Amino acid sequence: MTTQATSTLLRTENLRLYFRTTQGVVQAVDDVSFTMPRRDALAVIGESGCGKTSLVRAILRLLPSNVHTYSGNVFLNDIDVMKLSEERFRTNVRWTKMSLVAQAAMNALNPVLRVGEQVAEPLIVHQRLSKQAALAQAAEVFQLVGVSPDFLGRYAFELSGGMRQRAIIAMALITRPDLIVLDEPTSALDMLTQANIMNVLKGIKRDLEQSFIFITHDVSTTSELSDRGMVMYAGQIVELASAEQFYLDPLHPYSAKLMASIPTLKEKKELEFIPGQPPSLLNPPTGCRFADRCDRRFDKCDTEPPLQQLADGRWIRCWLYNK
Amino acid sequence: MKTRFAKLWQTARKYPTIMMSVVIISVLLGIAFYAMISIPFSEAALLWRGAENIWEDTPRLAAPIWFNAFRSEKLSETVNLTREDALITEEAVSATIRKETWVYEYDFPYATFPQEMKAFFTVSADDKNPLVKFTWVKPDGTTYQLGSMTASDGSRYGISADATVSREQFNNQPLQVELYRDPSSTTEEPAVLNGTYQFIAEVYHFTDSSEIEIQFVSFGEVYGIAGTDHLRRDLRIGLLWGTPFALMFGLLGAVGSTSITFLIAAIGSWYGGWLDAAIQRICEVRLQLPTLPILIMLGTFYSRSIFLILGVVIALDIFSSGIKTYRAMFMQVKNLPYIEAARAYGASNMRIIVRYMIPKVAPVLIPNFVTLIPTFVFLEASLALLNLGDPTAPTWGKILNDAYHAGALYRGYYYWVLEPALLLIFTGLAFSMLGFALDRILNPRLRRI
Amino acid sequence: MAQNSFEVDSPPASEKKKSGRSRTWTRFGRYAGTRIFALAVTVVIGVYLTVIIANMGGYVDQIRVSDITFTVNARLAADPQFRVLSPENKEILRNAQLETEIGRLGLDRPFIARSFDYLWDGISLSLGRATFMTSNSGSSQVKDIILERLPITVVLFVTANVLVFLCALLIALALSRKYGSFFDRFVVAASPLSAAPPWFYGIFLIMIFASVFGILPYGGMIDAPPPQTTLAYVLSVMEHMVLPIIAWFLSYLFVSTFSWRTFFLIHASEDYVELAKAKGLSSKSIERRYILRPTLPTVITSFALTLIYAWQGAIITETVFAWPGLGALYATAIGQYETGVIVGLTVIFAYLLAITVFALDIAYALIDPRVKLGAKAGGS
Repeated sequence: MTTQATSTLLRTENLRLYFRTTQGVVQAVDDVSFTMPRRDALAVIGESGCGKTSLVRAILRLLPSNVHTYSGNVFLNDIDVMKLSEERFRTNVRWTKMSLVAQAAMNALNPVLRVGEQVAEPLIVHQRLSKQAALAQAAEVFQLVGVSPDFLGRYAFELSGGMRQRAIIAMALITRPDLIVLDEPTSALDMLTQANIMNVLKGIKRDLEQSFIFITHDVSTTSELSDRGMVMYAGQIVELASAEQFYLDPLHPYSAKLMASIPTLKEKKELEFIPGQPPSLLNPPTGCRFADRCDRRFDKCDTEPPLQQLADGRWIRCWLYNK
Repeated sequence: MKTRFAKLWQTARKYPTIMMSVVIISVLLGIAFYAMISIPFSEAALLWRGAENIWEDTPRLAAPIWFNAFRSEKLSETVNLTREDALITEEAVSATIRKETWVYEYDFPYATFPQEMKAFFTVSADDKNPLVKFTWVKPDGTTYQLGSMTASDGSRYGISADATVSREQFNNQPLQVELYRDPSSTTEEPAVLNGTYQFIAEVYHFTDSSEIEIQFVSFGEVYGIAGTDHLRRDLRIGLLWGTPFALMFGLLGAVGSTSITFLIAAIGSWYGGWLDAAIQRICEVRLQLPTLPILIMLGTFYSRSIFLILGVVIALDIFSSGIKTYRAMFMQVKNLPYIEAARAYGASNMRIIVRYMIPKVAPVLIPNFVTLIPTFVFLEASLALLNLGDPTAPTWGKILNDAYHAGALYRGYYYWVLEPALLLIFTGLAFSMLGFALDRILNPRLRRI
Repeated sequence: MAQNSFEVDSPPASEKKKSGRSRTWTRFGRYAGTRIFALAVTVVIGVYLTVIIANMGGYVDQIRVSDITFTVNARLAADPQFRVLSPENKEILRNAQLETEIGRLGLDRPFIARSFDYLWDGISLSLGRATFMTSNSGSSQVKDIILERLPITVVLFVTANVLVFLCALLIALALSRKYGSFFDRFVVAASPLSAAPPWFYGIFLIMIFASVFGILPYGGMIDAPPPQTTLAYVLSVMEHMVLPIIAWFLSYLFVSTFSWRTFFLIHASEDYVELAKAKGLSSKSIERRYILRPTLPTVITSFALTLIYAWQGAIITETVFAWPGLGALYATAIGQYETGVIVGLTVIFAYLLAITVFALDIAYALIDPRVKLGAKAGGS
């Protein structure tokens, strides 16, 4: 929880997460490296199966039992948390430095414990606060997300979907961790609730010092929230740019197609689509992984392009922009 | 379909328990078929009932013959000799009397004394039955004059029970001990004299048409491949025929129970309403009735027919917790969107149940069914142990029951208990292992892990 | 501060007024009432069925009647004064005696009519007298016979079942975190041992430990003659309990552990368990609050039913180990056509089961907030 002098909050290097399945080894996160400064809000965008949820698991070390490979470095405040033992990670990093707002909060709350207890739990566990003190802080974060503290004593099933999502967000905030990862925070909600939650998140981002990673497949909802956008495709980063650069002028063919497939309010345009399907992560193709579906491919695309930084600061993995 | 089986086979190969189970079950099926082919059931039932004199020439409570393979001091084997083994000579004693001498000569290389000795006669004579005199010759030449008797058809002479030889001379030891004793050993601690023994029967025929067949048996302490029980029955019969019985009881019970439970659960959960409620209430009432006592009452008061018991067990099994489990699953399936779609296009209820709901839940059926088989197999044994089994059927449970009630454990007749018990446990384990492995493969909820 | 357009949710005012407690208790009372009624009906039907079966539709009566006829005849034949009577008088006397005897036992009324009397007797637990059997203390009251044996069964089988249950539960909880470890695979490999019932393992155990090695008793509950001091008595009973409990463990421990472990594993894949792990809670804490607590209703049901079925399902095990409990009583009673005892045992079992089911429902309501408050409260 201590803020340090360095401006880089998170840095991953060659992060790999492969899963063992009955059909083979799925290379879900394949050599992902990026940095995040403080007070940054990064949107990670991609279609289903591109590896964004696995990236969350890799960073937060929420591994299932069929892990094949888990390697690389994750520097949080310049400390490589990958090297920490499970127990050190649990006490020093989990929720104190990084927290998670899970997808589909329907099931993310323990049905037999009161909501307030669960929200307050991290304080009791990590900061050894008394139950009253922790609940008092829980009431505060509830206010932050716009839920009345009366609901602290209720159970999960007594809250609506939107309220539950807000409770989860409150829970992620309560220890004021450096980094909060939100995995598709609004995809399970109806439009109105989505709008409400988005407003909550905007408020938090504006008022607090945390950094955020938003995982989403819905580009439009994060446009207001994110400072930067990172596009993932087939387990790799293909583009990492500032929000402006990304939304106004996406360079990578995939990002361009993504933006072109979203309807806009003001303009009238033909919606485009991307033919084909993402490659299987069991046996990723050797060259550029988007080459099959790209309409601008050329012969160099048979070899895998590296992730390179351009003059305007953005990173891109595409031979078209290779220096 | 074929590729599905190929895939299943590949998955199955990864589980060694499945391979083991399949091997054991194949062996059991082999034994079952062999039993049914080599000994037709009517004959087996007859043999097992042990009517009259069927087992008179086998020893009582003899261990299996292969026990001797593990012993340095061999247990006495059973010697069973008939006409082919005899040296028969005839001479005329007088004008009307003919003497036929039967000499049975055999080796006795064992270290323990036989249980008893007998001679059995088949006689056909018009008026007068022949008279037979017996002599016993030990390998060292010592000769014993035993008694004599008039042999009628079906009569027998208990050699070792011969009263004419006084026991006092040899310290009141049983006669067969003395007849086999090594003279260099004392009567207090007798040892067996190994060598060639002779049993001589001199038959005096009084009519021309008088004929006799003499069978000589020295009842050893081992006999046959499986030993014998207290009624002298060769256990091989019971063990062999117990196999198809066990398999049939197990399979029929498991199939009947699982399939009907499944069907009723499907129908009840689909139609809902009073039908579903009625089924639930029946289950609740049935759950209060203790199963085994009901079976015991039925068997005691009513009938011990194996089919009745099986039928009642299945009926009781159906209306218990099985239905609740399947019903829960069907309820889940019932609410799936594609079921709604089927109703929308006008599918009949039966069609939905059979074509949509049942196949979705069916994979869970298979491991349950397989795991249920040993339950039934052991149920038969349980009932037999309570004297409720079908009294005519040769089953493993019956053998176990006989052994238990004859105190086999206290008296050290372990083979009698071990043989049916091991067969039971192997059968049970084979199906049980298979069932558990199948469950790991087919249970959809376990795939998430 | 800019205006935020998100709503602040509060519970509706009307809900706050009516006290949560009284609302809960009225619904609770109604729930309890319906459950009791349903259970009572079930008990009645169950007992009646038992009465029918135990009397085998009147068949047992026929046996009784022929028994009585035989006894009467024998008694009369032995009576010297009877022999001098004329044949007609003999006939008259014999019939008169038969009538009295049969009437005394009420066997002259049709069975169906009597069955309801039996039903009422059974339900009200006035179990009457046994015809042949007596308790060790000499009473022929069915209640005494049963109650005398009850603690004996309880001592062994409640102990065995509780031990298996607790061990299975604790091991399974620990294993649910260690999927694929050696112990996990061992338990999975050993679960098919449940194919054989405890009495089967009992036979082997007796053979090995009592017959071959002679270090443990063949069966029974106590040495004969029974030890004098209390300590020696207790130790002797415990010595006799060793083999039955081992047999029980061999048959049930592994499969119980296996099914709880599978149950907890499936449960551990719930989202809130994952989130608990992400929150950095200790494994102990997760096990207790996120795995065990939500599944507590199932665990408790299982425990309660284990207790109940503990004493009734052990007829053969008690027979094999010569343990003088209720199971053996069952077998003996049936062998002697002692319908009073049979019905008595079944009735008591039915009551115990009904009480347990009812207690369970109440327990559910208290533990699981979803039941207590009704899952419909609040939003959806």
